Amino acid sequence: MTDFLQLTVAGLSQGSVYALLAVGLIATYTVRHVVNIAQGDYATLAGLGSISLVTAGLPLPVAILIALVSVTLASVLIERLVISRVKNLTTLVSIILTLGVSTLLQAIMLLIWGAEGKRLPAFPGSDLNLGGVSIRSQELWMLGALVVVGGGVLLFYEKTRWGKALRASAEQPVAARIVGISPAVASVIAFAIAGFVGAAAGVVSSPIYLSIWSGGLLLGLKGFVAAVLGGLVSFRAAIVGALLLGIIESYVAGYVASGWKDAVAFFILIIVLIIRPAGLVLRPNAVRV
Amino acid sequence: MSYLNKAALRSKTGFWPNNRGTIIGVALLAVVILIVPFTASSSMMNIAVFSMIFALPAIGLSLLMGLAGQVSLGQAAFFAIGAYTHAILLQKFEMPGLVAAVGGVVAAMLAALLVGLPMLRLRGHYLALATLGLGFIVMIAVREWEFTGRTTGIYGYGRPEVFGIPIDNNGLFFWFVAPFVLLGLVLALNLTRSRAGRALSAVNDSELAAESLGVNTYALRVKVFTLSAGFAGLGGVFYAYQVQIVSPQVAEFHVSVELLLMVVIGGLGSVWGAIAGAFIVELLSEGLRDLIPAIIPGATGEVQLIGYGLVLILVIILLPGGLYQVVKTAWAAITSRIGARRADAAAPAGAAALPGGGADDGTAEAPTRAFGGLPGEGAASAPVDGTADGDAVGDGGHEASAPVPTVSVPVPAGAPILEVRGLTKRYGGVVAVDEVTLTVPAGQIMGLIGPNGAGKTTCFNMITGAIAPTSGTVSFLGSEIQGRKPHVGAEAGLTRTFQNLQVFSSTDVVGNVYMGRYRKGRAGILRGMLGLQGREQYRHEEIAREILETMQLGDVSGLAAGDLPFGRQRMMEVCRALASEPALLLLDEPMAGLSGREREMLATLLRRLRDAGLTIVLVEHDVAQVMALADTVAVLDDGVLIAHGDPESVRNDPAVIVAYLGTDAEEAEAELKELEEHA
Repeated sequence: MTDFLQLTVAGLSQGSVYALLAVGLIATYTVRHVVNIAQGDYATLAGLGSISLVTAGLPLPVAILIALVSVTLASVLIERLVISRVKNLTTLVSIILTLGVSTLLQAIMLLIWGAEGKRLPAFPGSDLNLGGVSIRSQELWMLGALVVVGGGVLLFYEKTRWGKALRASAEQPVAARIVGISPAVASVIAFAIAGFVGAAAGVVSSPIYLSIWSGGLLLGLKGFVAAVLGGLVSFRAAIVGALLLGIIESYVAGYVASGWKDAVAFFILIIVLIIRPAGLVLRPNAVRV
Repeated sequence: MSYLNKAALRSKTGFWPNNRGTIIGVALLAVVILIVPFTASSSMMNIAVFSMIFALPAIGLSLLMGLAGQVSLGQAAFFAIGAYTHAILLQKFEMPGLVAAVGGVVAAMLAALLVGLPMLRLRGHYLALATLGLGFIVMIAVREWEFTGRTTGIYGYGRPEVFGIPIDNNGLFFWFVAPFVLLGLVLALNLTRSRAGRALSAVNDSELAAESLGVNTYALRVKVFTLSAGFAGLGGVFYAYQVQIVSPQVAEFHVSVELLLMVVIGGLGSVWGAIAGAFIVELLSEGLRDLIPAIIPGATGEVQLIGYGLVLILVIILLPGGLYQVVKTAWAAITSRIGARRADAAAPAGAAALPGGGADDGTAEAPTRAFGGLPGEGAASAPVDGTADGDAVGDGGHEASAPVPTVSVPVPAGAPILEVRGLTKRYGGVVAVDEVTLTVPAGQIMGLIGPNGAGKTTCFNMITGAIAPTSGTVSFLGSEIQGRKPHVGAEAGLTRTFQNLQVFSSTDVVGNVYMGRYRKGRAGILRGMLGLQGREQYRHEEIAREILETMQLGDVSGLAAGDLPFGRQRMMEVCRALASEPALLLLDEPMAGLSGREREMLATLLRRLRDAGLTIVLVEHDVAQVMALADTVAVLDDGVLIAHGDPESVRNDPAVIVAYLGTDAEEAEAELKELEEHA
């Protein structure tokens, strides 16, 4: 039982990383219908960047802040220099294009930081022990990041006028303009959010899960699996899906074999796509597929 | 030169002019392949061998992207499945090489079928994501499974032998794999130009229009996807032979990226481009592996990725058509320059006739053969000899005496051909169409009218299968087709046109009408790949040209469909629908955007088609036109059928007057008067 709870805790913390990445993916998908394969690379980039800053002698909070801002800017830059340059950007083309971005980012990280994985120092705090189940403080930081950052994005998109206009700008550019958001601005905001959320996921998870140049792809894809569980539109369903995914992976690693852990997400992806392409969304829109 | 001369030329010499490009290209490539092992350095030879091996999955991916409009991000998975199956069959089961190779290809195709069957029902990017997932699953599975040798992989099987000669060096191996690449190239090129290939390219222009002409998009896509995996599997077979050890590396994601890059560089959907892309990417990969550590000391690992990423982004932004587009543009520039020089030399009369001088073409070489004389397939075809039609409204003798396209007459006039019962469509709480029940008798023109938003087009879309009804049945020729895809009705002879034009913009006018012949063709993917459908294709293309000629569009048959003026595009759509020899033709606002003269022409044509036995249902805004043309009129208001009968009774139906004209009595009177005048 203790094992079970321990695995659940580990799964939840890992799931919170997937959840943040899923939030980033949905942020850009709802606004631009872009599936951003590079989403996970934002996380690695922020992780590796903050590690370098800490190594250079900056205090942890400052290093993290700089990393968050830089990666957010990098994401905006990618939107301006790459995404917005393609006319008639279909989702399919966006996948190929951002695959190129992802490959480029990874290669750059490989050249700058080398092939080895690196770790950010743990955030301050003391570990908890609840009835034999130990919870590391970093895991609480990770869940906390999901609540604050992920929850913030969710509230922004669902409750504020700007957020709603942003979501509408994909289907209703005119309506969005009325509120004062041009499609270009909407796209930039969406990518900024995606960059920030990805970077947050990267820095909070680095102390436990390492940052390695090639790690972003798999991370992003798992975030994507979670986003698909949310039908690519629902933040809530995606977050729930991401946490579930983290837990299932953790059980598979604990009870089956750790090598198979990474395959679980993709089995889930294929099964969900076959059985219920609308994901965990309870009332999917009537979309003719 | 008028198109007829060109067509005659083509049908006489058939094979050579239509395959000239392919034959010359393949012959040149074959010569290069023969020479390369004698001249290339050993490192170059290595690159050449791997580009040949990877050209196979790249050709497959190019077919998938170009024809099916789908992307696989897991092409490496099928490549790996082919390689592993081949290696395992050789090493563990000691099977003969040929059997093991077939096993590898079949295994890859089966895996694709398993993924494709559910995924291709979904639209857009789902296949890309599912194949991406499959790629990781395959990589992890071979890494974790004892049977596949975990991280070490499978090794210790022999090299291939051909006629007793062991293929044990790069030069021989190059000659061993190259014939398969050439064969694959020819098969793929044939496929892109076959009936199935044309259908899929039409689907990429307008899925709805293609399906309404009988194209079963889903089935074709599944076939192309499976085929594309077969190409990948074959590549894997050769890979296993060449490297002599198959390890999980072969399934890695960056292999899929490499393959995708080959296709993107070569030009989406260009088979030749895929081969060129394979060579370029292999060259790039080798070059970068040497170059980058030289520039940045200490750089190790997959440094070539930086080039992959950059090239992928740059090609998509700056050169979306890839190399194929560059070559095509350059070639067009060269030929137009040569053409201009030749035209200068020749007499000015030799210059191409402007479109618009079409009347001359039409009278000079009007088709002498009656349409009905063609060997008809399926149901009784009624040839129309073009006997004069009393209604022909002052449109010159040409119209009245020209033959009209063949139609099918599966049931005698007056028998019910289409029966709609309780047809209902709800969107949330809104009822767009409410319990509509009506029967369309064969051999009549029925007009479906109603004010804006009455549910006419929704009705239409449910009958043709574009949308599924919430409830109710649609039976065409006795079989229920509601909720089925449009191609089901189309195969049985129900064809439509569209209110918002749906032309196939990637082909010319004759190509559009030729697509209308899809239903009458039979050749499948296999026949298409083997190039065994030439005669069938020429015959249908001929018929398409003849239809255009009778409909006075012969002069523009070679123009890109999107370049026609609106009215002629509409006429072309009608031609396209008629080319399928339908039994029931549904026209969605056919008169909209037509000039007065064009309207009269169309009305005359529709009457004559009806007299030939065709059943026609038209949705129309222009009430006067419908009243003058239709044998029966049905009126929808607010989704409810409020009147149905002959034009005279419908015109005087008080419910119709109120529905149409609201309660404004003055306006009603004026409108009524106008109707009277038209009648």
